Amino acid sequence: MSMISVSERDFITKGIDASIRADGRGRQDLRDLRLETGMITQASGSCRISIDGGTDVLVGVKVEVGSVEPDLEGEAEVEAVGDDEEGGEVAGRDRDVGRVVCTVDCSPSATRIFDPRDVEDMCNEYSQFLNRILNGPHGGLDLKSLCIVPGSTCWILNIDALILDYGGNLLDAILIATRGALHNTRIPRTMVEQSDGHVEFDIAEEETEVVNGWENVPACVTVTKIGSRHIVDATPLEEMCAEAQIRVAVNRKGHLCAVQKSGKGGIDPSLLADMLQTGKVIGQALLKSTDAALEQDAQRIERGEPALGFFRLE
Amino acid sequence: MPQEIVSPEGLRVDGRRERELRKISCRTGVFSQADGSAYLELGNTKCLAAVYGPREPTRRAMQLHDRAVINVEYNVASFSMGERKQKLRKDRRLMEIASMIKQTFEPVILTKEFPRSEIDIYLQILQVDGGAVHAAINAATLALLDAGIPMTDYVAACSAGYVGDTPILGKGRTIICFKVAQRIYDVIPTDLNYIEESAEVPTLTVALLPKTGKVTMLGLEARLHLDKFAEVINLAADGCTQLHTELDKTIRKAAQSLAKTAI
Repeated sequence: MSMISVSERDFITKGIDASIRADGRGRQDLRDLRLETGMITQASGSCRISIDGGTDVLVGVKVEVGSVEPDLEGEAEVEAVGDDEEGGEVAGRDRDVGRVVCTVDCSPSATRIFDPRDVEDMCNEYSQFLNRILNGPHGGLDLKSLCIVPGSTCWILNIDALILDYGGNLLDAILIATRGALHNTRIPRTMVEQSDGHVEFDIAEEETEVVNGWENVPACVTVTKIGSRHIVDATPLEEMCAEAQIRVAVNRKGHLCAVQKSGKGGIDPSLLADMLQTGKVIGQALLKSTDAALEQDAQRIERGEPALGFFRLE
Repeated sequence: MPQEIVSPEGLRVDGRRERELRKISCRTGVFSQADGSAYLELGNTKCLAAVYGPREPTRRAMQLHDRAVINVEYNVASFSMGERKQKLRKDRRLMEIASMIKQTFEPVILTKEFPRSEIDIYLQILQVDGGAVHAAINAATLALLDAGIPMTDYVAACSAGYVGDTPILGKGRTIICFKVAQRIYDVIPTDLNYIEESAEVPTLTVALLPKTGKVTMLGLEARLHLDKFAEVINLAADGCTQLHTELDKTIRKAAQSLAKTAI
C-alpha cells in the first residue's frame, strides 16, 4: 500500500493538471464528512469523524485537575517588578491558565499501511502540531477559564486522538474531530473558597460547564501540491504523488492561526500565496458546515437519543 | 467499608441478578477497508475488531511453510478507563493479552488452509467497564467470521466471579452483620463490570468453544477456593453459551443480508 507505480503517478499528476481527480472530484472539493459526538460516555467529551474513503478518527477528551505550569521564563522578570502584589497572586504569564495536552495515537488497524517507525514519527508530528495550535495564543480556547486557583491548580484537558483507519487527509480530520470533542466536553463546575489565606476548591458532582472558546478553535486544511497545481483533501495515492504540502489552520474569523510546510519539494512564492488563499477559503467553509453538523448533533443529544456510533449503517 | 457488591436482595451494583449478562449489541462490517471487522458493546465496554487476511506476511521471516501465522495486536485507548492512562510504547500487559488471545484462536482457525500467509487481528478497546478481554475475544470472533476465515467453531468468552464468605470481603464488615447475611452472599456473578472487578472479586475469564464445550482460554488472577471453582467455571460457561447465541444471531443476520444483495 505504500508503493505507487510510475504509471499511477503519471495518471494522477496529469489528471490533476487537467482538474480531474481519480474519484471525480474537482481540485478544491472535499469529501463528505460524517460527524458524531458523545459516543464514549466515560470520557468528558468525544467525537468521531469518518470520511468517505476510509479515514476514521476518534477523539476523546478527559479533564483532570492538575497543577499550573510554573512560569520558568517569566520568574526573573516578575521578581524584578517588585513585591507589591500578594504572594500567590503573581500574574506571571502561565500562572493563571489551564492547559491542553494532545496526543495522537494510531490504532493497530490503521498501522497496517505504515511502516512501524513511520507511525511513531507521524503521531509525534501531529501531536506537536495540535499542542502548538491549542496551547498557543490563537488556539481559540479560553485557557484562563480553566484555571481553578491561580498559581496552583487548574484543569488540564487531555485530548487523545485515535486514528482508526487511514484514507488520506488525517490531520484535517483530527483537528475537526478535536473541535467536535471540545464542543461535546463538559467540565465539572468548581467552587473556590478563600479562608484565612488558604484557598480551597470544591468540584460539583452534577453541574458542568462547556469549554469556553471551542468555537474559535481553528480548522486545518492540508493543501497538496502535485505538479504545478494544488488540491485539497488528498487520498492516499494522491498524497504519495505529492511534492509538498502546506497545512493551513484558519479560524472562524478568517485569521490564519498556523501554517506549516512539509514535503521535499519547493514551492514557488506565487503558488504559495495561492495555496494559502485556497486553504483559508476552504477552511472557513469547512468550519461552517462542521458547526452546522455539531449543532444538529447537540440537538440530538438534547433529545436524549443515544449516539448511533458504529451501529450507523454505512 | 468496602462498597456492597451484592445487595441483601441479591441485586448487583448495576441492578443485575447473579446470572444476568450485560446488554450485548454487536455489528459486523464496520470498516470497509478491512477484510472483516466488528464492533461489540457489552454494557459500557466497547470494543472494535479488524481482521486482515489471509494475506502476504509483512515480514518474510515470519511465514510458516505449512500454515498461516496469526498476529494479534491489542490496544486500549487512553480515554477508555475511568482514570486516563498514558499509553506506554510497549506496554507489557497489553502484549501479554495479545499473546493470550493469539493462543486462544490458533487452534480454532483452520490455519493449515493458508500456508505461508498471515492473518492479522487488530483489537481496539474504546471504553472499559470491566471485561475488556472477553469483549475483545468475542469481537475478534465476529470479525474473523466477517472476513470469511474458516474456523472450527465460535469462540465465546465470558467472566464470572465469586462473592461470598472470603477473607477479602470480610474486611471492614462487623462480624455480626456478616454472619446473618452469610447465606445471601454466596453469589456467583457473571460478566463483571469495572466496579466488581476492582473490588477484589476473584474474576475468572473463560473462552469456550460452544459446540464441544471445550475451554480454550482460562484466566484467574485472585484467590478462589478450589471447592468453589467448579461452580464458577460452570457459570462462566453458561454465560459463554448465552453470548454465543447472540454472536450467532448477528452473523446469521449479516449473512442473510449479504445473500439478498447477491441476487
